[in-house]
Amino acid sequence: MRVLTRASWLFFTNCPERERFIIKAFTMLLCMTMLQICCVSVFAQSKTLTGSVTNEKGQPLSGVSVTVKGTPVGTSTNNEGKFSLQVSSDNGILQFSYVGYAIQEIAVKNQAAINVQLIPEATALKDIVVVGYGTQRKKDLTGSVATVNVAEAKKVSTNDITGLLQGRATGVAVNSDGQPGAVPSVHIRGFSTFGGSAPFYVVDGVPVGTSIREFSPEDIQSISVLKDASAASIYGAAAANGVVIVTTKQGTKNAPMRVEYNGYYGWDNVWQIIDVTHRVDYQTLNNESRKNAGVPPFPANDPSGADYVDSIDTDWQEEGLKTGTRQNHNISLSGGGNNSTYNIALDYFDNKGTYEGNGPSYTRYTARVNATAEKGIFKVGETFNYTHSHENTLTFRDDILLGAIPPMIVNLVEAIPTMPVYDPTAPNGWGGSNSEFNGANSLNAIAVNNLFVNWIDLDRTFGNIYGELQLLKTGGNNLRFRTSFSYDKTQTRDYSWVPEFYLGKFYSNVEARLNDNSRIYTNLAVENTLNYDRIFGKHSIQALAGQSYRENDVVLRESSATGFSQPYYPVIDQGESRSSKGSEYVATLSSFFGRVNYSYSDKYLVSATLRRDGSSRFAPANRYGYFPAASVGWKLSSEDFWHVSKSIVSELKLRASYGRLGNDKIGDYLYQPVVNTGIVYPFNGTRVVGGLQTSVGSPNIKWEERAITNIGFDGTFFNGSLDLSAEYYDAKSEDVLVGVPIPATVGSINLTPVINAATLKNTGFEFNVAYHKTKGKFTFDISGNLSTVKNEVLALGGNNEPIYGTGAKTAIGGEVGKHYGFVYEGIFQTQDEIDNHASQFGAVLAPGDVKYKDISGPDGKPDGVVDEAYDRVYLGNAIPKYNYGFNFSAVYKSFDFTLFASGSADFLINSRMYRDIHHSAGALNYSTDMLNRWTPTNTNTDIPRLNDQDVNNFKDSDRPGWLQDGTYLRLNTVSLGYTLPKNIIKGLTSSRAYITVQNLYSFQGYKGYNPDFTTPDRFAIPGVFNPGYDFGSYPKPRTIMIGVQLVF
Amino acid sequence: MRNAIYVLYLLFIFFLIGIGCDKKLDQTNPNALTTGQSWKTSDQAFEGVTAVYNALILDGTYMRSFVGLTDSRGDDFLGESPWLDLVLTGQFIIPTNSAPVFWIWRDLYLVATRANQVIYYVSQYDESVLSADDKKRILGQAYFLRGLAYYDLATTFKIVPVITEPQLDPGQYYPPTSTEDELWNQIISDLQQAEADLPVSYVDVIGPDQGQIGRATKGAAAGLLGKVYLYRKDYKNAATQFEKFFTGELQGIYSLMPDYWDNFKDVNENNSESLFEVQFQTGEGTDFNWTGEPATSWKTVEAYSVTYGMEGAGFSDYLPTQWIFDEYKKEKTVDGKDDPRLDATLAHYDPATGDTLAYGRSWFNPPDKIYPKKYTTDGLGTPYETPEEGINYRVLRYADILLMYAEVLNELGRTAEAYPYIQQVRSRANLPDLATVKPNMMQAQMRDQLAHERALEFAIEAQRINDIIRWGWLYTPAKLAELKAHDPDFNTWMPGNEYLPIPQQELDVNKNLLPNPAN
Repeated sequence: MRVLTRASWLFFTNCPERERFIIKAFTMLLCMTMLQICCVSVFAQSKTLTGSVTNEKGQPLSGVSVTVKGTPVGTSTNNEGKFSLQVSSDNGILQFSYVGYAIQEIAVKNQAAINVQLIPEATALKDIVVVGYGTQRKKDLTGSVATVNVAEAKKVSTNDITGLLQGRATGVAVNSDGQPGAVPSVHIRGFSTFGGSAPFYVVDGVPVGTSIREFSPEDIQSISVLKDASAASIYGAAAANGVVIVTTKQGTKNAPMRVEYNGYYGWDNVWQIIDVTHRVDYQTLNNESRKNAGVPPFPANDPSGADYVDSIDTDWQEEGLKTGTRQNHNISLSGGGNNSTYNIALDYFDNKGTYEGNGPSYTRYTARVNATAEKGIFKVGETFNYTHSHENTLTFRDDILLGAIPPMIVNLVEAIPTMPVYDPTAPNGWGGSNSEFNGANSLNAIAVNNLFVNWIDLDRTFGNIYGELQLLKTGGNNLRFRTSFSYDKTQTRDYSWVPEFYLGKFYSNVEARLNDNSRIYTNLAVENTLNYDRIFGKHSIQALAGQSYRENDVVLRESSATGFSQPYYPVIDQGESRSSKGSEYVATLSSFFGRVNYSYSDKYLVSATLRRDGSSRFAPANRYGYFPAASVGWKLSSEDFWHVSKSIVSELKLRASYGRLGNDKIGDYLYQPVVNTGIVYPFNGTRVVGGLQTSVGSPNIKWEERAITNIGFDGTFFNGSLDLSAEYYDAKSEDVLVGVPIPATVGSINLTPVINAATLKNTGFEFNVAYHKTKGKFTFDISGNLSTVKNEVLALGGNNEPIYGTGAKTAIGGEVGKHYGFVYEGIFQTQDEIDNHASQFGAVLAPGDVKYKDISGPDGKPDGVVDEAYDRVYLGNAIPKYNYGFNFSAVYKSFDFTLFASGSADFLINSRMYRDIHHSAGALNYSTDMLNRWTPTNTNTDIPRLNDQDVNNFKDSDRPGWLQDGTYLRLNTVSLGYTLPKNIIKGLTSSRAYITVQNLYSFQGYKGYNPDFTTPDRFAIPGVFNPGYDFGSYPKPRTIMIGVQLVF
Repeated sequence: MRNAIYVLYLLFIFFLIGIGCDKKLDQTNPNALTTGQSWKTSDQAFEGVTAVYNALILDGTYMRSFVGLTDSRGDDFLGESPWLDLVLTGQFIIPTNSAPVFWIWRDLYLVATRANQVIYYVSQYDESVLSADDKKRILGQAYFLRGLAYYDLATTFKIVPVITEPQLDPGQYYPPTSTEDELWNQIISDLQQAEADLPVSYVDVIGPDQGQIGRATKGAAAGLLGKVYLYRKDYKNAATQFEKFFTGELQGIYSLMPDYWDNFKDVNENNSESLFEVQFQTGEGTDFNWTGEPATSWKTVEAYSVTYGMEGAGFSDYLPTQWIFDEYKKEKTVDGKDDPRLDATLAHYDPATGDTLAYGRSWFNPPDKIYPKKYTTDGLGTPYETPEEGINYRVLRYADILLMYAEVLNELGRTAEAYPYIQQVRSRANLPDLATVKPNMMQAQMRDQLAHERALEFAIEAQRINDIIRWGWLYTPAKLAELKAHDPDFNTWMPGNEYLPIPQQELDVNKNLLPNPAN
């Protein structure tokens, strides 16, 4: 005891540095002590046990491994499926394992014969759900947990595990664009924060933060999404955005090595073509626009001029888009002995994008080793995952390519046809443009993507070691201690090289630049938990108590150099002028948590959870948060009074929960304003460094909290062939951090300091239905899900000033990022009509211009002036009201088929790309729709006239096309597989070949690429305030893949 | 029972570990000084005031947009850019949500509010930490810079909130618009304070700022204060201010540079004609000083050179009007040549006068086009312009003191006394004696003459529109017609729009803020 006390004192005083090193020593000490105390009674007398093992159809299984758990004692079943075994005690547990079947454990107790029916693994997994710090039988769940059929989901090729959730996990909205390596944005149950919406990811029990891109989808065993407070509050301050728990594949005990290969190769093609004008139409339209503005045509477009361009007609989409490829190869080796398991996997993923030039592309190498070992009361295990990835990004530097440049896919679409791709006379050989000659500074995006080199090399090492100790296993008491230590380190090298180039005067660079930066993210977690369960009479109790400490460290280093001479050696040393920057951020989280699950008579279920978190991100007064939750369940169908036939209602459970979750995903050190001590000024050529406070702080910053009420039911009908569940949630996020805009007169660089001011509410229904049917050799499953979300902003802080995005407004009573602008009233047909209408922004109007409604004025009534201040209104919601997914899979003899579709409905999209090519001023390329613009002879149209001086038509409004219906249904996956007969090659246990078409077609009215785009943060406006603004998301390609799965 | 004890014991250990870990929740920012540790040392006081100057070299102040958007509204200049904000500003129809207009507002307030920090905190310094002289010098600069910021705000936006203390409590974030009188009185008070506190020169001061030419001086404050009185039509006080340069304590400190062009080059900066200039420099730093959180990696460059630079060498976002070109041609020098200020101000092609080069090359644009040359690198030995140059911006020149004093004398009815001061400026341009060519002008004639002299001397120096506004030309039909003839941009002018509109986003956020006539 004294030793223990001393050991704990060491913890107490030296946490955590020393803890890392002494944790194992301490655990061993503890184990040894406990061994003496607890294990004395385990081994006593011995007796002979017999029994038989059958499969799910009642047929005997031979070769099943039968062992006494925790001992070397074991045997296997004979040809009749029978076994006989000497056991030392009635307290022992028999463990039955067989390849493809779930391990089953049976307590010996007083039995002399034990007969066991094994359940195939797939079915078994369906019944067990991984939850926070444990597992639960699905039918005992009282919280809201979405699970995904991983085998089906993996038929989607994605670089990120969250891609598997799209359309499959009810209540989880996954948006992504088509760039290789894209990280999808995930919203679980609506928009609950203005900060990062990413859920909290837990891999093999280890909290890994907000990205799991480095884990291969091929390595996944199961995914659970914890959606309500009851399920998620065990993760407290991390859980407000929901928790996604991923487990990776483990080995099987007593199994020879299983060698599995899964691989596919596919071709990506951008299937959507955006119709833009070719040279003649382009020049005609642009000249008309100049003429209408009373200015001469641009030299390149003037047929009567000497500089008229008539020999160039570039089809930029044709030139810039190519066939991409993707491939994935995964080899796994798994198996186990009596007391150990292993699963080793190597994975290679490569996706070359569809854009001509250096990017985008993404390549990832993953190596993973999972192993467990046990003896007696000891169990240890580890997960090790190493990833290296190389990503070429399709981005460039705003500080070189001046102006509000859209993503380069938009540059490609809107590039002018009179600019050549190549120009042998230009310094770099690439064509360019300039505004005086062409009228437009049109970016040669193909050139940029060849000239610029941008890549990110990433290495992530993730390791977890845990030890478990069975402290008690007597008299129905089961007490386990588990200690887990994990270390997760991600290092990146961010490389960006920009040579000298000249693509027209606006897009030119006279000084080569190199940025060679690195980021290091270190996440350390130590967790200790005690699990206790006991069944006595009709009572069943499971209890959990735990302690957790996490430390996240971010180191950012930037080095840059400019002024390279040719031939280039793009390393920092070769630059004439060099500079470097660096900073570090440390965040710590110290927590206690506990949970009790209680059930009575397997009818009434109660669960209660409490977590206390302390975070370094807040001032001491706001440091600690308490996150409680409780839930109840009632298995109605188990009641004596329930007389409905099991063949109609097999099972029915009602459940309800309430609780609070926290969110601490905010910046570090925000509560303390800082002094900027690097403010330079050159007095007569001498740089002097000054310093003062440049931005206001957020001294009272604290947790965001989310209170969720959840009610629902789970039912199984018609002998288990139909599963149906439905639930309703009401989630209110309070103290949401929001950058409350402050006037620039405050003199802060940061004009939107965050404070806990906003309240957001999300409510919705979620439905899941699945139908399974087997008829002879034909088996099929149909499943569907539908979720609704209604978002409401209840408070924004400060003066509750609305937050404006691009044509979007977030204000009290509305939704986040609702579309906002002027109301379209048609097109002016006559000057008379203009004269009798309100003036619009001081613009000089002519017939053919857009007419907006004069809604109000300073006195609250129409004032004869259409202006920004008084005449903008909400124009529709940007967040889809409905998300849905549908999956059909069928097996007939050796063939299997899957069709998976998903989509969203009832929302409007503001497309930058669409607007860019429907401009009335400027000289970028035009949509072919513009050929139908208003002219004195073509008046029956909703496209306004062209006018190079236009300040009127381009406003945010609901003019046709300016807001588009986003509703869509995408055929994500159509897959046909064929399983070859067994042993066609010696040793080949199973083999399947398949062909899959991904993103086959999308039924959509939207005229951009992806209705499920992601919104980046741009120009100081976080993307969350622009949920309906498609800034220019990369098209999702159509992919045709062929693949094989081989098992040896 | 024994089991329960073990469980409790384990839970206790958890508790101990957890409590131990709680100590790790105190994390101090390893990257920066927190505000509680600042304004303690003498060095910090000096660093504070240096940081105020930094706000002068941002996009919204003298680096680019303030200069450009002020020039574009004059009748000597117009926007000619694919960036519509630059064009529409010149046409007086700039929308209230224009980004560069907001930048000007934002960055001028950065100057004012940083100065507020210095004034508030440095005033509280004990003499044992900061000597009385040092304190005066620091405060004087802060007052000057705040006065300058409000002066620029007043001339650009007409009415704005006056803020004179750090806004430490979020309740202070929403100031009301002050009246025009309150605003100008604050400017006057700041400049008076600055004039009293500041040294004439930094060459011999004792302190870390010794020799740091470019800091605000007594002359800068006195001169700007005179200009403020003139703008407020307080000619008596204006005269008192300007007289200091001729008979008072500032006598002999300033003189005209022999070569007019020296006022707009990246050499001969901070010269004898310069009362105050914003300092720019190339060659150091990697990150542009457009906007954002300042860092030592910042460049300290200006971008007006490339914005004004002609087609083929710069962005050519603005062009001079034909009128200003013709105006230079009106009067020949004593030796029958063109006014030398033409060549320093405008780039043009004229083989007859030997003007055939641009940027050291033979003229590469249409021969009939004219471009700005003042504040560009044309002729300065830089073969091509780059987006970053280091020409100091001359905010106030001695030539302005001379012409303003002449104007004050004329307004005070002492028209005859104005001649010699005007002639000093004319003589530098080698123009004949005004007293000979236009003797005995009446007050009204002299006003027109001064307007002409000022147009030529200060073309493209971000003050022509201020002169037009204060002379009331826009509301005088005959003068307005002249302006329209000078610059077609004035055709779209509507009353009130001579100012830039108060940024819409500020009006949205601050309900105490009033729109101005340009909104």
